[in-house]
Amino acid sequence: MASAQHGAMAPITSKIAISAGEMIVSNVCKSYGTGLFEKKVVKDCSFNVERGKLTVMIGPSGCGKSTLIKLLAGFEKPTTGNILLNGKPVTGPGRDRLVVFQESALFPWMTSYDNIMYGPIARGEDDKKARDLAEFLLDKVGLRDFRSKYPMQLSGGMQRRAELARAMINNPEVMILDEPFRGLDAMSKELMWEYYSALYEESRRTTFFVTTDIDEALFLADRLIIMSNIPTRVRATIEVDIPRPRKLADFFLGDRANEVKMTALSLLHEEAMRSFAGGSKAAADFVESYARRSQRA
Amino acid sequence: MEQVERLLKRTLPFQVVSPETLDGIAEISRHEVFKAGEVIYGAGQPAEEVYVLVSGRVAHRIDPDIKARVHEKELQVGDVFGWAAILEGEKVRLADVACIEAAEVLKIDGARLLELLRKDVNFGEAALKSFSQLISQQYYLPPSVSERVPTTLSKVGDTRTPASNEAEPQTASAWTLTMYRAGEWLRSPDPYLMMVGFALMLGFWYLTVEVLKLPRFEDLPGLTTVVKEWFAEDPVYGMSIYTAEYYQHIWVSIRRVAIAFLLATALGVPLGLFLGWSRSFREYVFPVFELLRPIPILAWVPLAIIMFSGSETPVIFLTFLASFFATALNTMLGVESIDESYTRAACCLGANRWQVFKEVIVPGSMPYVFTGLQISVGVAWFSLVAGEMVSGQYGLGYVINTSYTMVRYPTIIIGMVTLGIVGYTTSAMVRVAGNYMMQWRLREMALGGR
Ligand SMILES: Nc1ncnc2c1ncn2[C@@H]1O[C@H](COP(=O)(O)OP(=O)(O)O)[C@@H](O)[C@H]1O
Ligand SMILES: [Mg+2]
Repeated sequence: MASAQHGAMAPITSKIAISAGEMIVSNVCKSYGTGLFEKKVVKDCSFNVERGKLTVMIGPSGCGKSTLIKLLAGFEKPTTGNILLNGKPVTGPGRDRLVVFQESALFPWMTSYDNIMYGPIARGEDDKKARDLAEFLLDKVGLRDFRSKYPMQLSGGMQRRAELARAMINNPEVMILDEPFRGLDAMSKELMWEYYSALYEESRRTTFFVTTDIDEALFLADRLIIMSNIPTRVRATIEVDIPRPRKLADFFLGDRANEVKMTALSLLHEEAMRSFAGGSKAAADFVESYARRSQRA
Repeated sequence: MEQVERLLKRTLPFQVVSPETLDGIAEISRHEVFKAGEVIYGAGQPAEEVYVLVSGRVAHRIDPDIKARVHEKELQVGDVFGWAAILEGEKVRLADVACIEAAEVLKIDGARLLELLRKDVNFGEAALKSFSQLISQQYYLPPSVSERVPTTLSKVGDTRTPASNEAEPQTASAWTLTMYRAGEWLRSPDPYLMMVGFALMLGFWYLTVEVLKLPRFEDLPGLTTVVKEWFAEDPVYGMSIYTAEYYQHIWVSIRRVAIAFLLATALGVPLGLFLGWSRSFREYVFPVFELLRPIPILAWVPLAIIMFSGSETPVIFLTFLASFFATALNTMLGVESIDESYTRAACCLGANRWQVFKEVIVPGSMPYVFTGLQISVGVAWFSLVAGEMVSGQYGLGYVINTSYTMVRYPTIIIGMVTLGIVGYTTSAMVRVAGNYMMQWRLREMALGGR
């Protein structure tokens, strides 16, 4: 009913020319402080963010994922090792990468529309094309009617969607997202997964996505990188070769999905137990949530 | 629950209701999720609940037999549908509603909703009106249905007449909100406590000075003397609300404060912004700034007189000085208060350093800047009086000082009270202007944060 009228919306690729980049992280270490006060956060980390793929990194909270993102973004430099973007070393923040930080938020003094248009305006690309794209994205993320509202007037889910739109309007070669669905309730979170994966399937932009939620990771990932506890390094890499488009309704009924999930969970559990012995609160939380999840699985 | 309330607040009909009603509505709301393709309800089914669309996409098709002008539409997040549940007469669904995408909705029992609106004496009526307008405007209903759209609560079977029939029927305008707040304030104990406070102070003054004539109080001018003098057409000591001199003093003081305040703002805000923004600038300037800031204004008097000729400029300079420090310091704190994630986000989106300053630092520090300006007017009056007492002619500080030397005691009190009133008014004006200019901040407070 009424579906003919609302037909298929044009895919995002018809609006944005996607140029996909790739990132290679090799032997990266990062520590804060020196001497006695040295704290190793990242220890000899190597992985690739492949062109046109959605690479998801998962690890216990506090393991150093956000630190890695700061390195990828170029806001901090690795202590040793190097990071390449399309073969060139990353030396600082750049427009070729778009990073949505964990704590990054919409500007509270701008309306949703102004927030979304911020990138193009800041770069002086405030032309008709950008404005059309903004309209298009407002529709895509279901915020058309909230374009002139301030972030405080939006619900948590709407804020996240506006943040996504603000990132997507730019045309970076690599999109880097740090727990973009944090703090949402389970229900809106699942909606966001479906929503985001549909968006990704349309654009196939190179994406690096960090999360602590195993279901989220599996549902979205082309490739899953599992991190060890702090100081973090790559514990395992799993190719999630489940065909797209994916639908949440039947995704976790598939054998392959559950197989990957069990492997990932046992690795994560090991990591969590390891630091649990060390008395980490984050690890304790993780073990608890693991217990709950494995009951559900 | 809070989240539900925030959602409700965003829908047209429920924007206006009072917080208690909103609480009530939130309480009777149930959250439900539908999958893509699922039918929420079909025409002809009994209609008990009103729905609010929380997320997702929903198609709404009014039964063609009803001949509404708009019979098919896609609902937007925040739309209210299922209003057949509050129509008068037979409560039967008039439309088919199904999900285009997975959707979250709030379900609200229609009868209980009307009950709650009826209890909301002030805004229930307005909410219902806005609701009925929404229904008729969005669907262009034929008379057969539109006649059943309830337009007033008293028609829905209750005899109590709502208090504010003439309340603006649209959504909450700034005016209704202001009136609502004023009404709330009057209904709260605050204004009465305030009056009790004033009465106690005046009573104490009257008793100690005029009735009891306590030892150290008897030389003070009494309450009645001061009031008589203040409102006398022919004042004994030469100054009352009927003398031009009184207004000249007020005017001169206000002018000095205004000039000093504007200068302090024009110089202090930029200085504060740069202090907060540039680390190296701060390293040069801030130590000097911090050394000068704690020096009391009175200590500047001799220098001010030596540096500036005439009687006007030294006073303005003294007034300016205190304001300037307050404004600059608060602005700097404002810049420091900005979460680094905002600057980082702007940076990631391609802003250069200057744009970050213009588009993040400046707006982000505004809340502190306006707090600074409020403090700034306050200290401006403070140092103005200090300045006027030592140098200068005219002005309320001058009045107070000369009245003392010339033994016109009641005039001292008139000067002091006037100073209080004028000072309070200017501070209030700055506050109102600040709130007006910072609407996002106001909204944030109105909505109680995120
Ligand atoms: N600037 C810093 N100085 C010292 N320690 C830091 C700094 N930044 C992060 N850390 C440490 O790095 C660890 C990992 O943090 P983070 O990367 O935010 O973890 P995650 O994102 O995986 O939850 C934390 O224990 C934190 O204390
Ligand atoms: Mg993190």
